Amino acid sequence: MSGAQGGLSPRPSEEGPGSDGRSTSERVVDLLNQAALIGNEGKITILKQVQELIINKDPTLLDNFLDEIIAFQADKSIEVRKFVVGFIEEACKRDIELLLKLVANLNMLLKDENVNVVKKAILTMTQLYKVALQWMVKSKVISELQEACWEMMSSMASDIILLLDSDNDGIRTHAIKFVEGLIVTLSPRTADSDVPKRHENDVSLERIPRDHPVIKYSVLWEEGKAALEQLLKFMVHPAISSINLTAALGSLATIARQRPMFMAEVIQAYETLHANLPPTLAKSQVSSVRKNLKLHLLSVLRHPSSGDFQPQITTLLVDLGTPQAEIARSMPSPRDARKRPR
Amino acid sequence: MPSAPLRVAVVCSSNQNRSMEAHNILSKRGFSVRSFGTGTHVKLPGPAPDKPNVYDFKTTYDQMYNDLLRKDKELYTQNGILHMLDRNKRIKPRPERFQNCKDVFDLILTCEERVYDQVVEDLNSREQETCQPVHVINVDIQDNHEEATLGAFLICELCQCIQHTEDMENEIDELLQEFEEKSGRTFLHTVCFY
Repeated sequence: MSGAQGGLSPRPSEEGPGSDGRSTSERVVDLLNQAALIGNEGKITILKQVQELIINKDPTLLDNFLDEIIAFQADKSIEVRKFVVGFIEEACKRDIELLLKLVANLNMLLKDENVNVVKKAILTMTQLYKVALQWMVKSKVISELQEACWEMMSSMASDIILLLDSDNDGIRTHAIKFVEGLIVTLSPRTADSDVPKRHENDVSLERIPRDHPVIKYSVLWEEGKAALEQLLKFMVHPAISSINLTAALGSLATIARQRPMFMAEVIQAYETLHANLPPTLAKSQVSSVRKNLKLHLLSVLRHPSSGDFQPQITTLLVDLGTPQAEIARSMPSPRDARKRPR
Repeated sequence: MPSAPLRVAVVCSSNQNRSMEAHNILSKRGFSVRSFGTGTHVKLPGPAPDKPNVYDFKTTYDQMYNDLLRKDKELYTQNGILHMLDRNKRIKPRPERFQNCKDVFDLILTCEERVYDQVVEDLNSREQETCQPVHVINVDIQDNHEEATLGAFLICELCQCIQHTEDMENEIDELLQEFEEKSGRTFLHTVCFY
């Protein structure tokens, strides 16, 4: 139940009175009291205002009001519960220490009865897993509580990998994207890795000190490789839906470009798929999948480390009806081309 | 139980005829909809097939209307272009280019394969941030007034069915198959991520 329903009184804050003479804290209390009484649509609007006030305007209030916001995770409305997931993400991105308090809540939401809440929780895990790993790597001393928090994150990551087998198509799509991110995080960035600008500062395996007291480089590396195995296994399931096949094809292209060490596995998977398209696909779905495969093959071909695989990629592209001129345009220029270090 | 309102985009080449016809109908039916073109320029028919009127995406529908009115009122009245521009300017000020829009959608409907390819390529070339999925569906519509009207109704029916699914992502594959059978058309369909 929401603590807000009992009525709140303002908490001390560093923030002075606003233009209407009320402090941010007073406004938050007022909004939370309103949110406890109002119907769903209005509730989300009010909760978003609270989020803006305590995450962006005056983050010193965040810790104070955490419990009141999190209490809404028991709300009957799906949209309100999704809001709480989003709030956990924003709060932890603002201050990762809050994960100590929030990880158990996130775990509950990941097991929510509603698929849309679960999907939102998977998206949030895609963001927070690497932030949590970064935090573990940076911490000089790791408390028992922090270690337990990381263990819970790892166990949630394993749970999401299992969701590749979910009965629900949308959950499987979200799980694929999580696994893609997990593989990139749990493998080392190399000189020939494509690194999206937005992710330049993201943690990945090569930043993990070999003597870390809690995080074991070799264990994570094994987990990363095992996650790729899972994704490849998922792709050859004969009853895979065309949408999930599409999502997996895209994830493999991302992995090949960001972790060229896996390019051989990716090209092999593309070859296998091309030769054995799932029999369950309708004609138009076959067209959609082939079109996607072509798009991703071209993007892998453009990678400077595609050199060793150009014959296979070209054969596949020709089979998919790609004009030679288009293939030639996507060949990396000899100046950029690099041999993969062995 | 229908979930939150779908955020829909309809996309054609010049954001004039096919996407605007669908935009018009969808917004009248209460959808949260935006429309776009993927071309580098906005092209409208001219006095001959090889002499189209070409504008950039900054030009307002009103400016195009006045330009064509001045050039040849009779021709552009007779071929329906002035009427179309008049309709368009009541919906929004100017055409918008899909590649310049950073808004997030749940569903993007394209009006021809080339446009679908451009949309998918653009979405794939963006740096992924939230991993939020977006479904892209192509419905082939010939670029004339009659086909645009028929196509817009089909798009609208499709959006209504998708909106009323309990769990869109779990049902969309099957729903599209049913629609293909019913309409005798085929749809390209893919998922991209923001």
